Amino acid sequence: MPPAGAGQPRQQGLGWLGLVGFGLLVALLAVALVQARQYALLREAMRSGDDYAVLSVYQAEIEYLRLRESWRHAVDVPADQDLQALRLRYEIFVSRLRLLQNENARRRIAETQEHLDTLTALERFVLRADAELGEQAGRMPSARFLADAWPELEALGAPVHGLSLSAAHRTAERAEGRNLAVRRQNQLGLGLTVFMSVLTLAFAYIALRQVRQLRARRVVLEQLAASLGEARREAESANRAKTAFLANISHEIRTPFHGLMGMLSLLRETGLTPRQIDYLRTATESADHLLAILNDLLDMSQLESGRLTLAPVPVDLRALLRDVEALMRPQASAKALALHLDTDPAVPERVMADPTRLKQVLFNLLSNAIKFSDRGAVVLDLRLRPGAQGEQELEFAVVDTGMGMDEATLGKLFTRFVQGDTSRSRRHPGAGLGLEISRNLARLMRGDITVSSRVGEGSCFTLRLPLTPVPATAEPGPKPDTTAAPGGRALRVLVAEDHPVNRQYIAALLENLGHQAEFASNGETALAAARETRFDLVLMDLHMPLLDGVAATRAIRALPQPAQSTVPIVAMTADGFQETRERCLVAGMNDFLTKPVSPQKLATLLRQLFGSAEGVFAPDGQATAAPAHARSPMGATPLLDEAAIAAALQAMPRAKLAGMIQSFLDQGPQTVQHLRAAVRDAQPLELRVNAHAVKGAALNLGLSALAQTASALQEGAAHLPAHEIARLVQRYEDLLPVTRQAARDAGLLVPGSPG
Amino acid sequence: MAVHATGAASPELHSSSRRQALIFAAAGLACWLGPARALDAPSGAVVLTVQGRVRLPNDGKRAQFDMAMLEGLPQRTLQTRTPWYPQARRFTGPLLRGLLAAAGAQGSNLRLVALNDYQVDMPMDDALRHDVIVARLMDDKPMAVRDKGPLFIIYPFDAQPELRSAVYYGRSAWQLRTIEVL
Repeated sequence: MPPAGAGQPRQQGLGWLGLVGFGLLVALLAVALVQARQYALLREAMRSGDDYAVLSVYQAEIEYLRLRESWRHAVDVPADQDLQALRLRYEIFVSRLRLLQNENARRRIAETQEHLDTLTALERFVLRADAELGEQAGRMPSARFLADAWPELEALGAPVHGLSLSAAHRTAERAEGRNLAVRRQNQLGLGLTVFMSVLTLAFAYIALRQVRQLRARRVVLEQLAASLGEARREAESANRAKTAFLANISHEIRTPFHGLMGMLSLLRETGLTPRQIDYLRTATESADHLLAILNDLLDMSQLESGRLTLAPVPVDLRALLRDVEALMRPQASAKALALHLDTDPAVPERVMADPTRLKQVLFNLLSNAIKFSDRGAVVLDLRLRPGAQGEQELEFAVVDTGMGMDEATLGKLFTRFVQGDTSRSRRHPGAGLGLEISRNLARLMRGDITVSSRVGEGSCFTLRLPLTPVPATAEPGPKPDTTAAPGGRALRVLVAEDHPVNRQYIAALLENLGHQAEFASNGETALAAARETRFDLVLMDLHMPLLDGVAATRAIRALPQPAQSTVPIVAMTADGFQETRERCLVAGMNDFLTKPVSPQKLATLLRQLFGSAEGVFAPDGQATAAPAHARSPMGATPLLDEAAIAAALQAMPRAKLAGMIQSFLDQGPQTVQHLRAAVRDAQPLELRVNAHAVKGAALNLGLSALAQTASALQEGAAHLPAHEIARLVQRYEDLLPVTRQAARDAGLLVPGSPG
Repeated sequence: MAVHATGAASPELHSSSRRQALIFAAAGLACWLGPARALDAPSGAVVLTVQGRVRLPNDGKRAQFDMAMLEGLPQRTLQTRTPWYPQARRFTGPLLRGLLAAAGAQGSNLRLVALNDYQVDMPMDDALRHDVIVARLMDDKPMAVRDKGPLFIIYPFDAQPELRSAVYYGRSAWQLRTIEVL
């Protein structure tokens, strides 16, 4: 409903309401007026005393008649006694007459001349009689006076009667007038009551209509709110669809692209002419650039959907900067630019950070600096700075001596798809997402990127991050080290991948690294192969027919054989979303490899999983075969602790220590069984308790390698992945015969005892 | 006098108990006066006759008073406005209940009759509760018959506003001649 349409009826309603209210007010005033008039009428009727006046006139007439009777009697029969009575009658008559003579009574009774004359005649008679008959006369009236006055008294009869009749009529008229007035008032009151009833009904009607209108409006508003909510849900689902589309497209593009890049890198090894190599390099560069754009797009979609999460681990900052420098130096050298990375000694060795994302930001800033500088130097300066709240911050300042930017360009710098200026964008193509992603990442890390620049003098991009020191208990994180190659033993790797090109590519990579690859083209084949054969590693594509990677992983983890079910499984996917990663880890995978899989990535992964050549354990007891393994599976840790043994020998005879060591080693298989049961039943607490007991005994007996393995088990019981724990248990089992041999060599076992 | 003073000294008593006290006082007065001071016979012209349930008659079954006898009773003067005169007037005369006590009147109702045969009933209560007087003087002068005399029942209208109504104005009989105790 438009506002004007809604406002009009309401104003009208208010107008009617006001009108009715005004009418009610007027009616109430009128009622008050009528009541006041009725009250006045009543008061007047009470005060006028009409009835009283009529009564007085009647009384006067009666007294007149009595006096006339007595008088006649006195005239007819003159006797003393009667004269006294006559005088009393006379006096009473006079008292009555006086009541008629006061001003008030006169006004009511004597309205015509005739009445006035009657009153005057009465007064005249009293004046005459008082002289003879009045109490003040002092003597009795003479019979003669009585006889003389008789006619005059008798003549008064008719006028007195007329007076009383007239008074009665007057009173009746007045009463009639009053009744009429009262009736008129009543009619008026009745009319007012009807009027007020009508007004009240109108009032009620308007109120009812208002309530109905309000209710209707509320219904409309509710519908509006519902449709808005629906629209919002639609918009949100459209947004989700867009994000999913972006992710899908990126996956769809990256999978064949991955194959293309792999084939390009393999092509280089096939003995090409210099010209072909040159073409190939150009193709590879284009492919790299395209991949960078794809990665940017994927990062953007993740940042937008808020699904990009950081994984802070303890990071060696200087080593990380070395990696960055190693990667950027070729670019700088190609443009004859100097590249300096300088770290303040005050910066701590290790901090908590997401190394991948931190490197991404630094790469972006440095490659921009290199891209837009034609001479001079690019410097990355890392130092500590006090932050806004006094806390310490890491400050990475990337300074270049490039063309610089003006204010207008700076203002638009972090905006999507905008490069410094259009002329530059022609020279330096790119999606223009890099800086936006970098700033978003910096903010995600609770930091920010700022920039200062002058045209012609260069720019300074500053990344500030809050300094998060490494907690004392944190495990050392994997140190990125791209230079070391994975160690010697050939691993048996199952590659579960439905795409033949990718299979071929991964196989080539593995073969280059000296490992042996077997293939499964779908999840079911992969499961069957993993059941049959003990692989060292399974590389699992997530998107496969019949059984996808996650389901296949679950099935493998559920296998009855412990060796098969604990095989390390690493996911391979082009879909880099955090939730995908979580889904994989929940299903029981150990790690996550984002496609395209580069040789470096694969090498790093293998090193992380299997360590150096010494760290790789073959559970088949191969460890016992090589003296290197007998020396120490942990590298530096000796099998026996000479100092502890010497201390023990001071406390007890050699034979006794030998007996104890023998007994401990004899219990070894049983211990391993307990530990395996705890792993199988997922009882980290029991595992820890067992490992702790073993560790204590082994330390006391000077069996340091066993003690260290037990200690690792104890510490890792709660958080290490199952296959790591299985490996540790396996290592413990492997160490048993080696340690026995070492003890025997050291003369700590009775010769000929079982080994 | 003393008995009357006792009655007058307890105005705070509840009306019914006060009424009882007054009745006892009246009875006591009658007993005290009865044998020792029987009502004298009127020596002058009779102006008021109390008849009906009268225990101390002086003329057959009636108690008759002349002006001197009325003057001899305890007097009370009160100044009050009335409907009959424009200004307030001073009325003097015996208290009605004193007069009734003197006649040994015992009843619940009094019928007042005037010279012109006007008659009105007054509850005995009125005489006991209010200081009703039988006025014989107005502004210290005797009242003539033509001036509503010689006797005029007057309530203390000014002292007790609730008496200012037609009921009590009606009971204020003038030219009072006879009181009949019922």
